[in-house]
Amino acid sequence: MNGLSRALCGLAISLALALPAFAQGSRADGFTRLPPGAKVMLMPPDVELYAISAGGIPEPREDWTRAALQHIKELYRERKAKAKVEVVELPDDGDETIEELKRLHGAVTRAIALHQSGQFALPSKRGKLDWSLGPDVGVLRQKTAADYALFLHIRDSYATPERMLAVVVGALFRTIVMPGGRQEIAASLVDLKTGQVLWFHRLQRATGDLREREPARETLDSLLYDAETSQ
Amino acid sequence: MMRALRALLPLALLALASCAPMVMVAPGPAAVRDDFSVTVDSIWNRLTYPGIVFMAPGASEIWTAEGIPLDVLAFYIGVREGDALGRVLERGGKPLASYRAGMTPHEIVELYEQLVTQDGSAFTLGRLAPHRFGGADGFRFEYALTRKHDGLALSGVAYGAVIGKRLTLMAFTAPRMYYFAKYLPRVEAMAGTAQIKY
Amino acid sequence: MPPRFAHPDPASDEGGWWSQMDREEQRLRASGFLIRDKALNEMVSGIACRLAGAHCPDLRVYLVRTPLFNAMMAPNGMMQIWSGLLLRMTNEAQLAAVIGHEMGHYLERHSIDRIRSAKTATAVGHYLGLALGAVRSSNAGHFANAADIALIAGFLSYGRDQEREADRIGLNLMTQAGYAPLEASRVWEQMLEEVRADPMEGEDFWRASILFATHPPARERRETLAELAGSAGGRTGEAEYRAALAAQRPAFVSDELKRRKFLQTRVLFERLLKAVPDDGEIQYALGEAFRMRDGVGDAQSALDAYRKAQAMRGSPPELYRSMGLLERQRGQHAEARASFARYLELKPGASDAELVRRYMASE
Repeated sequence: MNGLSRALCGLAISLALALPAFAQGSRADGFTRLPPGAKVMLMPPDVELYAISAGGIPEPREDWTRAALQHIKELYRERKAKAKVEVVELPDDGDETIEELKRLHGAVTRAIALHQSGQFALPSKRGKLDWSLGPDVGVLRQKTAADYALFLHIRDSYATPERMLAVVVGALFRTIVMPGGRQEIAASLVDLKTGQVLWFHRLQRATGDLREREPARETLDSLLYDAETSQ
Repeated sequence: MMRALRALLPLALLALASCAPMVMVAPGPAAVRDDFSVTVDSIWNRLTYPGIVFMAPGASEIWTAEGIPLDVLAFYIGVREGDALGRVLERGGKPLASYRAGMTPHEIVELYEQLVTQDGSAFTLGRLAPHRFGGADGFRFEYALTRKHDGLALSGVAYGAVIGKRLTLMAFTAPRMYYFAKYLPRVEAMAGTAQIKY
Repeated sequence: MPPRFAHPDPASDEGGWWSQMDREEQRLRASGFLIRDKALNEMVSGIACRLAGAHCPDLRVYLVRTPLFNAMMAPNGMMQIWSGLLLRMTNEAQLAAVIGHEMGHYLERHSIDRIRSAKTATAVGHYLGLALGAVRSSNAGHFANAADIALIAGFLSYGRDQEREADRIGLNLMTQAGYAPLEASRVWEQMLEEVRADPMEGEDFWRASILFATHPPARERRETLAELAGSAGGRTGEAEYRAALAAQRPAFVSDELKRRKFLQTRVLFERLLKAVPDDGEIQYALGEAFRMRDGVGDAQSALDAYRKAQAMRGSPPELYRSMGLLERQRGQHAEARASFARYLELKPGASDAELVRRYMASE
């Protein structure tokens, strides 16, 4: 690839990733839905809401983040209650294996987001959702007696356009793409018997507001639609 | 700015058509470059645009099994005397030390460490031992990395050899939890088939 | 000393900042860069607690593995001290000076004042999100970006009055706890010396160190501190400090070398050697600094440094390996073989033993 086409390729990729709206949802082979009576553990959601100034530095907004966290937890419980699925929360006791699992999950999420489909799809995955956290998830099963775990990653920010392109390529492999001024949400459901990621949903868009109850419900609905109960 | 971006979109799509960032590496012999090859026993994925991988800045080739945020197999092929092993991570960053012919494996490990810790990640060297690689008396080393940006613990293994004063290094890094052990046998087997042809 | 601070009303702005700091603290507790060494933590927390008096129960001290000179205290009682600072202190009193100074800001609620007086939410976000989140992953990438720090430094610099007040309080706390107050001015003296070692690197260091950037060590401050200390005696606690640091120090030294700021590193190591001339570990590290820099004449300087280390206490076996590597480079094969042999003798279980034996056999 010569210098010019490399440069063009790089630019094209960044633009592709900067496309306004993107929803990615997939299920592992053989998984359709949570059986009724299933017990799902809600991992402490990894949520951060930001405002991005012209200076380019994201400023965490604690009040927004706290509101979002609360809405998400409550809304998720509501959804599961309707589907007769029990939701348990993990006691946050700083267990090292669990901390490591959270970090590993973050990396797995980024890998899925980047490589399951689209420009960077891995040929070896053949378009399937085939990723695992490995058998260490057993510790989660022990602590909660749950069969599944839901992980949520949320980065929601509001940025100036100038900021956008500058961060895209640089941030490409460091984190879920955060051009800013958008919601970046990833949710995954993990089988706690095997560590397999059963479904993965990602939402990347310029709209949505997690700070208020009803818009947050809309976000969660968009994120989780078709995932478990065709709702 | 958004309007400008949208205007560029058609051009982008055109360029996109000729970009295929991830390419399959099928089982069998695989030429990594004209002067380096390995035999592969399972499917890997090759990144045709290695310049953007910050975990292995300046590598000649990057492969991955399950994705760049997880595992990275980096090849540094035919590094010449006076050149750095890879490249500086950020423009204006501190210049890297250069490879010198006659460097011992210990010193080459220091080059590698300098390369992969530019982002503030913490590196710990494990076992370092002689090892046949690429048809020469080379070396193999193990290491641990705590990745700066997400704090994830990574494990690594690397193989190197100097032939005709030029250095070739093959380094595999993956999360310590589950992933490293999963792929280590494949990587070891692959390293055993490496051929350096310069 | 003011009475202990009550947890602010969560609905208030201060309450919001407090809960954000609590979350930062949670992340910090889970960080892969947190130092968990018991002896070191006990020593540092012990000093902090003694200085804090009635405020002790509100304090939580975290040691972070980052080779930069930094210490900070958040209004919720969380204190962070980075390993670069721990390496640079030579005794308990110096550490107490730094802790006391930060505590001065805490007790007088200077940071709350700064946050409140910030004109925009931008500044608030900067302080809370960046200053405290140094070790956490952030969407802006890793922390030590010069532009970011310049911004923070500009914003976070306490006013001169606040600095004077923190200095005064810190000295009082130190003295009341029985430490020699003169050590406070020494801390800044030592920092300046390091910065002066290379004007170029000094700029960088300044920018890379939040504490340094936010506490410009004006000569006036040093002199004021020295004056205030007067001729008061007190404990310095060298032996206790070194004992508590011993297990972690090799890692900190190694991190320091990896910064590749060799002029500053050399000043640091030479200062540590002046305080403890028989420190084989630091003398060896000085040799490593020369060897790694690999400039003109450095190989000889390294060898000279290693040779000095041979006779010193605590010099590690790796000393001989490094000597061997350099001797081999210079074609001094007999000497190299002897050095490698000595390395293997001292460290028979070395994980690179086979390779070193190859070096010996290959000439």
